[in-house]
Amino acid sequence: MTTVSVKILLFATLRSKYKTRELTVACNGTLLSMIESAAKLLGPEFIDDVYDRKKGKARNDMIIMVNGRNIKDLEGEITLKDNDVVAIFPPLAGG
Amino acid sequence: MGKILRVNLTAKSLNVEKTSEDVARKYLGGKGYAVYLIYRYLREYEKAGTSPKDIDALGPKNVLIFATGPGTGVPGFPSSGRYHVMALRSPLTGSIGSANSGGEFGPFLKFSGFDMIVVEGASETPVYLAIVDGEAELRDASSLWGKNVFDTCRMLMDKVGGKNTSVACIGPAGENLAYMACIMNDDHRAAGRTGLGAVMGSKKLKAIVVSGDEKVPVAERERFSEVSKRCLDAMKNNPVTGVGLPTYGTAILINIINTAGGLPYKNWQTGVNPDAEKISGETLAETYLISRRSCWGCPIGCGRVTSVKSGPFQVLASEGPEYESIWALGSSTAVKDLDAVVKANHYCDEFGLDPISMGSTIAAAMELNEKGCIPTEDLQGLDLRFGNSAALVEAVWRTAYKAGFGKYLALGSKKLCEIYGHPELSMSVKGLEMPAYDPRAIKGIGLNYATANRGGCHVTGYTVSPEVLGIPEKIDPIKAEGKAKWVKIFQDFTCVVNSTVNCLFTTFALGAKDYAELLSAVTGWKLTEDEILKIGERIYNLERVIINKYGFDGKDDTLPKRLLEEPMPEGPAKGQVTELEEMKGEYYKLRGWVNGVPTKEKLAELEIEL
Repeated sequence: MTTVSVKILLFATLRSKYKTRELTVACNGTLLSMIESAAKLLGPEFIDDVYDRKKGKARNDMIIMVNGRNIKDLEGEITLKDNDVVAIFPPLAGG
Repeated sequence: MGKILRVNLTAKSLNVEKTSEDVARKYLGGKGYAVYLIYRYLREYEKAGTSPKDIDALGPKNVLIFATGPGTGVPGFPSSGRYHVMALRSPLTGSIGSANSGGEFGPFLKFSGFDMIVVEGASETPVYLAIVDGEAELRDASSLWGKNVFDTCRMLMDKVGGKNTSVACIGPAGENLAYMACIMNDDHRAAGRTGLGAVMGSKKLKAIVVSGDEKVPVAERERFSEVSKRCLDAMKNNPVTGVGLPTYGTAILINIINTAGGLPYKNWQTGVNPDAEKISGETLAETYLISRRSCWGCPIGCGRVTSVKSGPFQVLASEGPEYESIWALGSSTAVKDLDAVVKANHYCDEFGLDPISMGSTIAAAMELNEKGCIPTEDLQGLDLRFGNSAALVEAVWRTAYKAGFGKYLALGSKKLCEIYGHPELSMSVKGLEMPAYDPRAIKGIGLNYATANRGGCHVTGYTVSPEVLGIPEKIDPIKAEGKAKWVKIFQDFTCVVNSTVNCLFTTFALGAKDYAELLSAVTGWKLTEDEILKIGERIYNLERVIINKYGFDGKDDTLPKRLLEEPMPEGPAKGQVTELEEMKGEYYKLRGWVNGVPTKEKLAELEIEL
């Protein structure tokens, strides 16, 4: 698979936990490879914070947006492209 | 059942009546009961030959209602420290007046011995109402007139003293009849929307102070303890009500709504703010936050205590700003200096102004000015350009005092834009400025804005919850299809919450079934989930019947032209407009309405007696 470069943005408690606002990683275009690449920089806990290994997909309570679109609203397997921006939010709300 | 205090400011009379169990069984309390009373007032006026359309919102015929509900002030009822205020008409919109606030005033009103206060007529001189241990009295407020909100609260708290004392009042904005003036309580809490502070000002009612320690009855104590514990645990263990809101407050939404391309910027010219990070909840927490403040009985504690430590916008201690305030005063005006936004929000509290309508009106004025539509002599030196922090802060106090250009801003964006020849630049529905979500990126909230009885309002039916936040389940924000059913059920359920009365944020963790159980235990009535949703639907329909009497119907269930015709220029919703007519047709069908008017069959089904 082709290697792509993806920018990851962290928000709220994820930002404060990892003391990181944004990072750029190289991955093979799947969500898991992006998360694993990020975990090399942020620490292994990051994987379980955003990914459900048992189910083999992103954790249901995380809000993950690729170029502003929630992955739950996108059809089919997520394939990240070069320069995509992935925003990751923990569960949050307001009004 | 409890008691209702009916005050006539013209006659200076005070009468006590019993809360009706028959009415409460059909409309609960809070908003629902107030809607019922408003309808009865309109019928009385009609019988006496006055058309509802001829009622002046700032005249003595308008009636102001402060209402608690069966949940208010009950220890263990989750987040029940709120009250609802309604008026026959809003000066800003001409539609029904409606607003809701937290803090301590709601429960302390109940502890003082009353479920509700109904204020009729108008006084010729400033007065305040004191209710202490069940005894109500109108007192001279000459020495308070002209005082700001913080001073008024402090002076009345000192004067009355005692246990469980709270003050609801107006500031200079209400006294000067600014159309977006709000009613403030406990310093920084606001019944913010639809200009009810101006209604209070028109009645020369400066404040209401309540105090007492009457116990609030619970019909089935044991059952209530069990349900309460389960609901409080659910809230504690919920990641939103247990972690997200306590840690960051509502401002945490700035970044996510901006990422979704729905954070209105520069008077809604786009939904992407390039400087969102600078005014975000994360920045507020890192730089301005001192501590949290909870409303009475609330396990969430989303309130922020903040300060701007130095510089031209220094504020030693304030509260907020909330997400909506940051958006309206910051993003909509393109002001990226959070110091200035905190200061402008503080002024809104100090002078008693609704930050949503205030910020949105300033943003409309900025666009009018940049398009060359406002004569220089009208501005009187106020440099209203997008991004101008100093002008933002100055515009707020000028509005409260109607000083210089403030006299135009005090009319709200609809009238302001009409005066300067561009009504399409007012980002309002039925005259009420819309809150912080662009329907081109979040379609369901657009249908809710269009059909909300009080005008452009997000908390009438907060579909942002499923559309962006995925609560209770995720639906696609940019699809119009299927949104009508979500809007309807959210609007109906919200009526239940506002009639209970407690905080809408509980609904991130609790559903209609939980509410049915809580209400059943408190009242002793056997309420099911379906029954409480029917009550909510009944309230929403009767409120609709009321606004129909003012002349509002399907033609007014619309959105500003910009959101219907100008494609979103950038971001994930690029190219999108709001497909309102498609959603509205489905919504009316579900509601049983024709052109925004409930059918006789629907009213009969809901057992609404006209």
